[in-house]
Amino acid sequence: MQKYSLFNLIKNAFKGHKEWEVAWKDPTPKDEYDVIIIGGGGHGLATAYYLAKEHNITNVAIVEKGWIGGGNVGRNTTILRSNYMHDENGLFYEKGMDLWRSMSQDLNFNVMYSPRGIINLAHSDAQMNAYSRRGNSMRLNGIDAVLLGREEVKKLVPMLDFSENVRFPIFGGLMQPSGGTARHDAVAWGYARQADSMGVDIIQHCEVTGFDVVKGKIKGIKTSKGNIKAKKVGLCVAGSTSVLAKMLNMTLPIETHLLQACVSEPIKPILDNVVTFGAGHFYCSQSDKGEMVMGGDLDGYNSYAQRGNLPTLQHVLTEGIAMFPFLSKLKMLRTWGGIMDMSMDGSPIIDKTHIEGLYLNCGWCYGGFKATPASGWTFAYTIAQDKVHELNAGYNLNRFNTGHLIDEKGLGTKTWIS
Amino acid sequence: MSQNYRLDKVGLINRGKKISFKFNGKKYFGYEGDTLASALIANGVHLVGRSFKYHRPRGFFGVGADEPYAIVQLYRNGETDPNCRATEQELFDGLEAKSVNCWPSVNFDIGAINNFLNRFFPAGFYYKTFMWPKSFWYKVYEPFIRRAAGFGVASTKHDKERYEHKYEYCDLLVAGSGPSGLASAYAASKNGAKIILAEDKPRFGGSLLTSEANIGNQSGKEWVDKIIAELKEMPNVIVKNRAQVFGYYDHNMLVMTERINDHLPKSKKYSPKQRLWYIRAKEAVISSGSIERPIVFGNNDTPGVVLASAAREYLKVYGVLVGKKPLIFTNNDSAYETAIEFKKNGVWPIVLDTRSNPDSETINEAKSMGINIKFSHVVIAAKGYKKVKSAEIAKISKDKKDLGKIENIECDCICVSGFWTPTIHLASQSGNKTKFNENIDAFIPDKVKQKETTLGSANGIFTLEETLKTSFEAGYEISKKITNKENKITAPQVSEKKQVKHDKFWCVPLPKNKTYKRFLDFQNDVVVTDVELALREGYRSIEHVKRYTTLGMATDQGKTSNLNGLQLVSNIENKIIPAVGHTTFRPPYTPVTIGAIVGREVGKHSKPTRKSPMHLWHEKHDAVFVDAGVWLRPRYYKQGNEGLFEASRREAENVRKNVGVCDVTTLGKIDIKGPDAAELLNRVYTNAWLKLPVGKARYGVMLREDGIVMDDGTTTRISENHYHMTTTTAQAANVLSHLEYYLQIVWPELNVNVVSTTEQWAGAAIAGPNSRKLLQKLFSNMDVSNQGLPFMGYVEGNLFGVYARIFRISFSGELAYEVNVESDNGNFMWEKIIEAGKEFDIQPYGTEALSTLRIEMGHVAGSELDGRTIPYDTGLQGMVSQKKDFIGKRSLNREAFIAGDRQKVVGVVPLDKKTSIPEGSQLVKDANAKLPNPKLGHISASCWSVEYNNPFSLAIIKDGKNMIGQKLFALSPLKNKSIPVEIVSSHYVDPKGERVRS
Amino acid sequence: MLHIKCPYCGMRSQNEFAYGGDATVKRPELNKEVSDEEWNKFVYLRKSPRGKHLELWHHISGCRQWFKVQRDTITHEIFKTAEISEDI
Repeated sequence: MQKYSLFNLIKNAFKGHKEWEVAWKDPTPKDEYDVIIIGGGGHGLATAYYLAKEHNITNVAIVEKGWIGGGNVGRNTTILRSNYMHDENGLFYEKGMDLWRSMSQDLNFNVMYSPRGIINLAHSDAQMNAYSRRGNSMRLNGIDAVLLGREEVKKLVPMLDFSENVRFPIFGGLMQPSGGTARHDAVAWGYARQADSMGVDIIQHCEVTGFDVVKGKIKGIKTSKGNIKAKKVGLCVAGSTSVLAKMLNMTLPIETHLLQACVSEPIKPILDNVVTFGAGHFYCSQSDKGEMVMGGDLDGYNSYAQRGNLPTLQHVLTEGIAMFPFLSKLKMLRTWGGIMDMSMDGSPIIDKTHIEGLYLNCGWCYGGFKATPASGWTFAYTIAQDKVHELNAGYNLNRFNTGHLIDEKGLGTKTWIS
Repeated sequence: MSQNYRLDKVGLINRGKKISFKFNGKKYFGYEGDTLASALIANGVHLVGRSFKYHRPRGFFGVGADEPYAIVQLYRNGETDPNCRATEQELFDGLEAKSVNCWPSVNFDIGAINNFLNRFFPAGFYYKTFMWPKSFWYKVYEPFIRRAAGFGVASTKHDKERYEHKYEYCDLLVAGSGPSGLASAYAASKNGAKIILAEDKPRFGGSLLTSEANIGNQSGKEWVDKIIAELKEMPNVIVKNRAQVFGYYDHNMLVMTERINDHLPKSKKYSPKQRLWYIRAKEAVISSGSIERPIVFGNNDTPGVVLASAAREYLKVYGVLVGKKPLIFTNNDSAYETAIEFKKNGVWPIVLDTRSNPDSETINEAKSMGINIKFSHVVIAAKGYKKVKSAEIAKISKDKKDLGKIENIECDCICVSGFWTPTIHLASQSGNKTKFNENIDAFIPDKVKQKETTLGSANGIFTLEETLKTSFEAGYEISKKITNKENKITAPQVSEKKQVKHDKFWCVPLPKNKTYKRFLDFQNDVVVTDVELALREGYRSIEHVKRYTTLGMATDQGKTSNLNGLQLVSNIENKIIPAVGHTTFRPPYTPVTIGAIVGREVGKHSKPTRKSPMHLWHEKHDAVFVDAGVWLRPRYYKQGNEGLFEASRREAENVRKNVGVCDVTTLGKIDIKGPDAAELLNRVYTNAWLKLPVGKARYGVMLREDGIVMDDGTTTRISENHYHMTTTTAQAANVLSHLEYYLQIVWPELNVNVVSTTEQWAGAAIAGPNSRKLLQKLFSNMDVSNQGLPFMGYVEGNLFGVYARIFRISFSGELAYEVNVESDNGNFMWEKIIEAGKEFDIQPYGTEALSTLRIEMGHVAGSELDGRTIPYDTGLQGMVSQKKDFIGKRSLNREAFIAGDRQKVVGVVPLDKKTSIPEGSQLVKDANAKLPNPKLGHISASCWSVEYNNPFSLAIIKDGKNMIGQKLFALSPLKNKSIPVEIVSSHYVDPKGERVRS
Repeated sequence: MLHIKCPYCGMRSQNEFAYGGDATVKRPELNKEVSDEEWNKFVYLRKSPRGKHLELWHHISGCRQWFKVQRDTITHEIFKTAEISEDI
């Protein structure tokens, strides 16, 4: 594989960039694979990469209905963090942070990992206390966290509304300094390129139409490009999990919902950190291009449409202006929607299933992007070893039977209320 | 400076009103009716900005929302707006604007060094480098790149402008006032339909303003004026200019922004700057027209290269010449109209037509005027850096592959036309799948998804005659469906010149040994070789191409670049365009001011504020308020120099010693009536309710179906079939919906009605050893003895002539009562209580003291009932009936919920009895264990116990029932605290609950 | 913004309503023995179909009635709304 480097960039510049090789090939599917990963999103691509890299399993295919990276890995607000209260989440996502830190070098693809710090604003003492609980838990799990007072927040993010004319004044915030952002598309492409170079077949525009299950054991999948045999199959199709589950006669603790995000026109740098509003649901960062990247609530009803409605964005942007008055004069440039697997306790599922050789990776709610490396890493382990790793042990499907739920927000099963 | 490029007479501007403005600090003049762009061009200013990546000089390319270049920083009325399009910004007196993305100036921009290094910056170059050393990306490279990014500068002040919203319903919304919009709106309105006609630009008429065609015996402009005048008179028609329909959403909801004051030096009094219209239309007509697309050639981004249609509009609408030596470069007939217009105004154009020998009325007219036309000719490259100075042109072979001898001809602008792209954004947003029309080389709407009709050039129809005919017909047919009327108007006669087919040519090949940059996306600096590189590297899906090269992702969203990008991909991949597909169109069509989307809900009004009827009294008595959801509640009443700690301690002590009064109006209240009311309560609450006598209250806990505690509160039996339920402030709305859900869906057989009465009652809690004496004084005729009104008793009373409900319930753990009166009497009640309480040393107390009182009593509240705990965890297991079923009971039997080491609420006291334990601290066995340090539980609430005068906390801790007596550490790494503590019972004060019963 | 026909009040905009989730979920009867499986199916498992979805909406800023809506989860088109007691 061609190495990406400044040297090679310069060398190629003198050849008119005509000698760059394809980042990934476009193979026709083989008859059989050791492992098929369904879903060429971030999680699926990462899983294939770690199967090859960590477990030396390279007879792997990724089967993608559309084009790789076209799902939620290309439709998010690019935030990375591990600021979770529950141990199961905190330790899992911190593993992810470790992988993020060296991802560009690991993949030889600049994913622009940018630990610019994420700040959750608090607007009351009660909220400061809730954040303290979370932050202390993080610190005891070895995750960085700092509690900021109002003045400290002001120093970091002077553009926030510190005037008298606010409904919910800022009391302070919880900051994870190592939280930040990464370039979302690059993550998908970087994993794809490396997986491809290690022998993984990336098969795009190939829709799964059914499964071949014999006596409780997976034998292969049926696709728009024909039947493909497989010893093991992993599902990585957050957003569409219920559709595939239906083909397998499975019903899951998941509902599919629509989440919108938007960007403003690009402006000169004004915000370095990622900031979230505490008196509602709004988060914001500024991309390297200068666009303010903003998101918030779900549209709030089951949906597979990647298109939402304006009142939700109105609501989100209302909180945006409450936080950053300067947003008022900017213009909303682009909006988009992604479809989310909303699980019934807000936490994901990475587990084996009752079907031998079939593995499940789903339920990411709106937090899937930051999980990409840890999800791929643990899922690859689970598929390769046919058992859960201690990092994803809590993300088992059975927790909905036993009551060992991981409810970070304490909102229960009304997944559409955020 | 004089307006050298302004014609003497032509145009629709008001020459009677001269307007002065400043650009980059220099003063210029224009006329009323100009845009900033037209006024600058009139003054010979063509250099407006610099491009995003290479900082190449940029001028004007279009004349409206499609403009990719002319983005400026605007100054108006003491405020500044970033990223304004000069082609859309109307001129007003005193307007000031500056170029963006250049330093130190637009004329001399240091960033332009990028242009000379451009070979090192191909598409996606940043993915391939900046990786070593590891931390350099975010410490060195990224900050550098960030500084270079972005256009305008955001204002740091609060926006002084107002934005408003309007909701409107209509039979037919017509988006665009060109020929198809006017015709359909006119026909439909004459047939009785309620119409909204929206035009983005200040002037109505669209392409008719620049067309030479006649309608009936009128010019296009005259016809427009007549129709608009008539429509404005009709009561069933709303006509709006400066109004852009930017989004087509579900269920025929379309959203429009109306720019009411943007064109004025400052907003008129009581008038919003912009208004956002949510329009629910029974039917929508998409008459959004089409945008001319460029032909791609070398250095086609040089200032002076403009769309031919833009040149024509500058000329005919603004009386402005984009150049005095124009070169027209076209593959179709429409650009000849631009040439003819130049010629009519005494400017000799040269036309280069890619076609070999087209013959049409338009071309013949141009020929007859003596215009120099070169067929089979193309522009290879524009020459000149900050402005076109000449062009390299050549003959092109029939197969469009070989170029003849290159000639250099002088020119000062190149007006380019590569035919027309229908503006299908709204149709696509509605869910319409598009189809590729081979005749026009562009996508048009296919099968409609919602109630919409696309007309005119937006639908690929480019003759006026057919547009008017089909649009009059459509207006009539659509309206007939709605109004059932049959007043039909026939389309007028049209005389227009016939045009012949355009050439399917869109990109000029490079001559040998030339490396001109050929731009596809002008703002984002995406050139042909970028797309070629993307495809070479396997980014083959059109979405991959877009994301890898950033094609079409600039602020114009690819209005002039997308289709040429598709052409290129289709050529290289050897696929037909429909197989390549296009990226999805999403709202907004053009960028929309965020302030307008948000409207009036800004500042203090960003969320509602709810206040109790006693709020003014609290304010007058120096209450410091705290947000409780959207309610404001007194947190404490400040005396002298007191802070939160001193004041709340004083208030809490006074409750324990004398008597206090607390405003509890915010508690949720639900009136429950009906013969099955008790049965409902019995199913909703975990404890038994069937035998509660009239005149008695009971504490209850309710669960969600997953077994988690949802809420708690007291419910009182007012009469046989009438109950009064209270909920926590936070859960009031949820509990009501919850009850309605079960009554209407799950147990419709229960005959019960529920209604929220939260706002109907004002509440005051009177607590403390003196509370009975005070109550007696307030209700002198009432038996308030322990027998007359026992604990959990309820009576109705007369409070100095006002009806009152008196509940003997307690949250503070003291002897306490809660008095409710109708809201209007709330303040009266409060003042009477304060007045009567004086002799018993009454003091009002706020939520902080309330919190102290409940914590030291071990009463659980929101911080323990946090959506993760079951009754067992919070010491409420006694409330759980084993005999009957209730909501969520089945979930309590699950493995995790019955585990022996289940978490539980306990009390925590610091060993030194001095150090307050911060809330949110975590409890561990070993303060110095290595990380991750196993956590046993957390501190949920802390207070200074007024009873024992030392800190006391509640905690939820694993294996709670066996932990009492253990010595642990409360750790708050965030606050750098490690406090040795002892676990004690959560019932720190009056564990037997004797006081409340005293 | 969806346009929803409340069976009691008529066509209203979505902002008057609250969503209530899958309407096909049936609560097991009170006082009836149910298996863990059956109970968990009721509390947690959702079919989440792509296409027609029968769901509940609550007219909270109106008549406060719950009702049923049959809606397409891909296009958001509403086919039918009905009172709770009616079948769709």
